[in-house]
Amino acid sequence: MDRALHHRLIGGGALLVGGLLAWGATSIPSQAGYAGVGPNFLPWVVAAVLMLCGVLLMLAARGSEGWVDAEAPSGAARGDWPAIAWVAAGVLANATLITRIGFILACTACFMLAVRGLRLSEGKPAGGMRQMVLDFVTGFLIAAPAFWLFTKALAINLPGLTSSGWI
Amino acid sequence: MDIWSQLLAGFATASTPINLLWAFVGCALGTAIGVLPGLGPAVTVAMLLPITAQVEPTASMIFFAGIYYGAMYGGSTTSILLNTPGETGTMVTALEGFKMAKSGRAGAALATSAIGSFVAGTIATVLVTLFAPIVAEYAVQLGPPEYFMLMLLAFTTVSAVLGQSTLRGMTALFIGLAIGLVGLDQITGQVRYTGGVPEFMDGIEVVLVAVGLFAVGECLYTALYEGRSEQQLNTMGSVHMTRAEWRRSWPAWLRGTFLGFPFGTIPAGGSEIPTFLSYGVERKLSKHPEEFGTTGAIEGVAGPEAANNASVTATLVPLLTLGIPTSVTAAILLSALQNYGINAGPQLFQTSSALVWALIASLYIGNVMLLVLNLPLVGLWVKLLKIPRPQLYAGILIFATVGVYGMRQSAFDLYLMLGIGLVGVLMRRFGFPTAPVIVGMILGPLAEAQMRNALSIGEGRWSVFVERPMSAVLLAIVLAVLVLPRLWKLFRR
Repeated sequence: MDRALHHRLIGGGALLVGGLLAWGATSIPSQAGYAGVGPNFLPWVVAAVLMLCGVLLMLAARGSEGWVDAEAPSGAARGDWPAIAWVAAGVLANATLITRIGFILACTACFMLAVRGLRLSEGKPAGGMRQMVLDFVTGFLIAAPAFWLFTKALAINLPGLTSSGWI
Repeated sequence: MDIWSQLLAGFATASTPINLLWAFVGCALGTAIGVLPGLGPAVTVAMLLPITAQVEPTASMIFFAGIYYGAMYGGSTTSILLNTPGETGTMVTALEGFKMAKSGRAGAALATSAIGSFVAGTIATVLVTLFAPIVAEYAVQLGPPEYFMLMLLAFTTVSAVLGQSTLRGMTALFIGLAIGLVGLDQITGQVRYTGGVPEFMDGIEVVLVAVGLFAVGECLYTALYEGRSEQQLNTMGSVHMTRAEWRRSWPAWLRGTFLGFPFGTIPAGGSEIPTFLSYGVERKLSKHPEEFGTTGAIEGVAGPEAANNASVTATLVPLLTLGIPTSVTAAILLSALQNYGINAGPQLFQTSSALVWALIASLYIGNVMLLVLNLPLVGLWVKLLKIPRPQLYAGILIFATVGVYGMRQSAFDLYLMLGIGLVGVLMRRFGFPTAPVIVGMILGPLAEAQMRNALSIGEGRWSVFVERPMSAVLLAIVLAVLVLPRLWKLFRR
């Protein structure tokens, strides 16, 4: 796909967000009081400006090259979608599992999935069973001390699998 | 009490063993994350914001300030050896520093940047000590209209002046303002944009957005696009400077310091402009112009490094005296203060003077610690660069979870964090700056309250913003900042 289309889509996205904000602003009462402007004033301003930005971004991407002032982004021209999917799966697994199997194990799972994706993105083999065990150990050795440090020393509330406070 | 006795009291507080320990851990952690690619001081402080629920304010501010400082020292090491600046402020250091390292003078580059950072940091801290109380005294006289204009100025410079495009900067700023709208309105208590989700009632946490955009976004971006980007590590050699190099560094450090400090105190978007200016000045004044861009000139490292540290220190002046952050990290420090229910502003020097002076004293101490950490021990930090990228970024995700989950104990926030991370990938890919998002979401609600209070004073008349002289002047500056660069461009054609 070409750059200009991407840029137009981004502009469209900003327009859409602005539109949603405007729709939400309709349900906020004015309650202006002495100031003459109430809690619904800034929402309307933000919605209007975002919609304006969206339109301008789309207009700026009219040509075949998209935004003229955009520098080339860093990194590869084409995205490595399987790699990012692994990393995203790691974060999702963490969010789903953290209250069920506790911080340490959920984060270890997240680490294993993410490190696999990142390794694939470097063009290296994802590795077999041995690598998985190694990743498990690495992830555990980061997550467990972090858990102990933050829950024991700094009294931050993180979920454990058991009530022992150690795992 | 005069400032010296207050500063002495500050030293007494800052040098209790426990506070010294916090300062040391902060400096060490800051140096580490400065050296490591992928994490900056803003996101690190954000991840650690949950500790504000347990640790007392003075200790945590000393800790956070140490991280902020340390990251500047560590960031230059990476710029010089790896040519991948972790921080925008160290971008210029990479220009000459990497060239020096390539021609075998990495040791001198590292030394001039560490000592220069120390000199600039210490002079700037002296300036903060002298000027912050004076600014605070004047700032008491400012009313809501003036505050609103100051915040408007901060918004304008962070979004419209810096970065590649005003339009994209403005879009990012208003996305940030929109995020700041979620939750209860400060003045009337009206619920806005919660969509019936109870988690949104308290608003969206800064930790969540900062960690999502910077840590998770960075990790996803690396997987998607940067996997095959090669990195080349320069060898280090011994860290010392010859007599000639000292002679060339001194004036550059001082010039950099006095260039950098004023830029940190005004909302001009942090250390980007002063470091580039300092680089330009050094290049003009140098007796060895042939070294610039070829073998690497030591002035080109010394000046910008000093400017960077001076401006970082100077950001504390508007932060502590006005409650206005002029960099992303300062914005997150502001929200740390908010977590304690402390309102940064001119009253801070009266209501929390013990905290303020302990913080300032800790900067003097922190600079000494950082010099020791970064000169003799620099080899230790360089070893961090040997951590393979996949393990590093996957590990960052674990700490991201600590910050985001630890703040509110909500798994919902972790899903949201992924969503914001994906937005971060889009923003980076399409050249949208991320700083305005953070500044917008933290400063937005404050600016809204000031604006509505100002209008209440004016009984609903907008003319209140031009009738008061100070506010009118600030408005004129905002307009000038918006219009002048465009006119300048037009005339040059």
